[in-house]
Amino acid sequence: MSWDITGLGAVASVGTDPGEIFDALCAGRTGLAKLRAFDLSRYRAHYAYEIDDRPGPGHDEPLRATRWLLTAVEQALAEAEPVPGPRIAVLVGTTLREQRSVELWWRGDSDIDQDRLHFGPALAQRFGFEHTYTFANACAAGLYALGMAADLLDGGLADAVVVAGTDSVTESAFGTLDRVQNRVPEALRPFDRARAGMLMGEGAAAVVLRPSGERPALARLRAVSMNCDAHHPTAPDRHSIAAAMREAHERAGLGPGDVDVVMLHGSGTELNDAAEAAALGAVFGPHQSRPLLTAVKSATGHTLGGSGLLSLVTAVHALRRGVVPPIAGLSDPIDELRDMRPVRDRAAPAPLRTAQVNAFGFGGINAVAVLESAR
Amino acid sequence: MSAVVTGVGMAVEGLADPDDLLHPLTGDDSGFDPKVALTGRGMRHKDRASRLALVAAADALTDAGLLTDGTYAGCGDRTAVVVSTNFGNLDSVCSFADTIAGEGVVGLSPLGLPHTSSNSVAGWVAIEHHLRGPNLTVCNGASSGLDALFWAQLMIEAGRADATVVVGVEPGTGAVARLLDGARSLDGAAAVVVESVPHRRARGAAPRAVIADFRRGTPTSATARPVGLRMDPDGGVDLAGRFGECSGALGVLQCVAGVGYLDAGGAGDVLATAGRDPATSMLLTLPGRAS
Repeated sequence: MSWDITGLGAVASVGTDPGEIFDALCAGRTGLAKLRAFDLSRYRAHYAYEIDDRPGPGHDEPLRATRWLLTAVEQALAEAEPVPGPRIAVLVGTTLREQRSVELWWRGDSDIDQDRLHFGPALAQRFGFEHTYTFANACAAGLYALGMAADLLDGGLADAVVVAGTDSVTESAFGTLDRVQNRVPEALRPFDRARAGMLMGEGAAAVVLRPSGERPALARLRAVSMNCDAHHPTAPDRHSIAAAMREAHERAGLGPGDVDVVMLHGSGTELNDAAEAAALGAVFGPHQSRPLLTAVKSATGHTLGGSGLLSLVTAVHALRRGVVPPIAGLSDPIDELRDMRPVRDRAAPAPLRTAQVNAFGFGGINAVAVLESAR
Repeated sequence: MSAVVTGVGMAVEGLADPDDLLHPLTGDDSGFDPKVALTGRGMRHKDRASRLALVAAADALTDAGLLTDGTYAGCGDRTAVVVSTNFGNLDSVCSFADTIAGEGVVGLSPLGLPHTSSNSVAGWVAIEHHLRGPNLTVCNGASSGLDALFWAQLMIEAGRADATVVVGVEPGTGAVARLLDGARSLDGAAAVVVESVPHRRARGAAPRAVIADFRRGTPTSATARPVGLRMDPDGGVDLAGRFGECSGALGVLQCVAGVGYLDAGGAGDVLATAGRDPATSMLLTLPGRAS
């Protein structure tokens, strides 16, 4: 079973479309900067990977996550032309929805309409889409939406699905994470021994998914697995992560020895990176030295609900260009990566056929996608 | 159709069973009392939406015969959770923003972390019953509850789960009251167990209803049976008229009411439309021989 990916879109702190973002990743550029709109005196952490599009320094505005979503969807639709209508569904994954707009309203800085908490009305207004769904599936949301999209196509319930993810930084989420993390990170450094924790980023990503066919495709989606730890509200469970990887391989009809590159979730926290690396070791076993490993969050920050799709969009570019971007800021990898091949310092050219994409989120939810080159 | 409803549950003040959604309360005091039911050890450190959802989910699992002495009797790896809520964590978001503005992040409780994300309810339901299948939170506005039932059914049909617990919940918090300009709103939850036909048969559970049709864009067409119970703002039973804005809980509450109607031998099918989004509708029917 496979599905065609026929269009890509993305915006992040490091670039305004998928090509620009991929080039930035390969060049090792990051979007790290001082917090732009929050009152620094209220926080321990002072850095994030924000999109610099606010009206002025120190001022915030509502509906930024909605704006990036529309941009990413527009890019993906333009590349996927023609998209067969009218049976097009739009599935949006998000961690925080428009909760930043809620905060601005609650604190007296702007108005809000309860129907703009989710993204249906904006998608209807801009593109005329009627079949829109907002899934709040934490940081696995984008890949969960991708899996549901594949099921929707299999059921013959849509001719094409636009799958997207978006999030803007909120004070409540940034602040509570800041409160909880033992150390105060000045950068997000996945899988580095010196990592100090997660920092949030902003952005959106989108893909157009269609049933497999004769038309040209950018890449083929082979499988998406989804599960839940049912163990702890915020701490990861490596056994459940490993189960998600195995299920993805099984659904794709391949084994760990067939995977050429893994887009790691790599959120840069002590527990998450250790759990992800342990799961990778358990699943890949004797093949763990085979796939190249990379992660985007040290360049883009943790873009939350859209982060899995941002990794997936990056993977499509990697498959097409035959090059894997490095993990920015990785200088001293953790022990668990000892026998593995994280890409460091500079982009690694390689013939690539199969990519695995990981995304994990609060609520113990895990999703893993497998992509295949369309060439 | 390969999925059937095998259990329903609720956590709405004063209500004891699905029939109470369709008739005036009789005045006995056997109904749900949030002051009692939402307290205790298992409820600590959870927001109001999560606590309401846990009560409704346990009620539905019990009704489906899937809880034995409080322990989930099905296969956790093959059981999914789908939650519908629009306002679930708004009280946390707003109060955390207030705390940051006042004391800074040092004033925040670390225990609030799960509730910053809009999917915390689904996480707590999964943890409570060790449900390790797909875990989906639908925050899709007025149609959210009916949407959640649609996605639960698709998960079964796609073979991703044998059973799915669907919860619709909205908490009656101060943030919600302000968002709705003081308009009346539901403080409660409803839950439905959707199960694959082979799984239902293997454990000998009774089929209660079939989700026969789900539509976006055009109203549901009638089946061979006439519609016996209609639930929309323009006719029949208007749950929002009775409880106030039900938002993400509405569709699941309608499903519970519909199953109550069919259980009681009500004639005809059940048609529910999604409140302020009348273009979304769902048809419930009595299970046929194939269910």
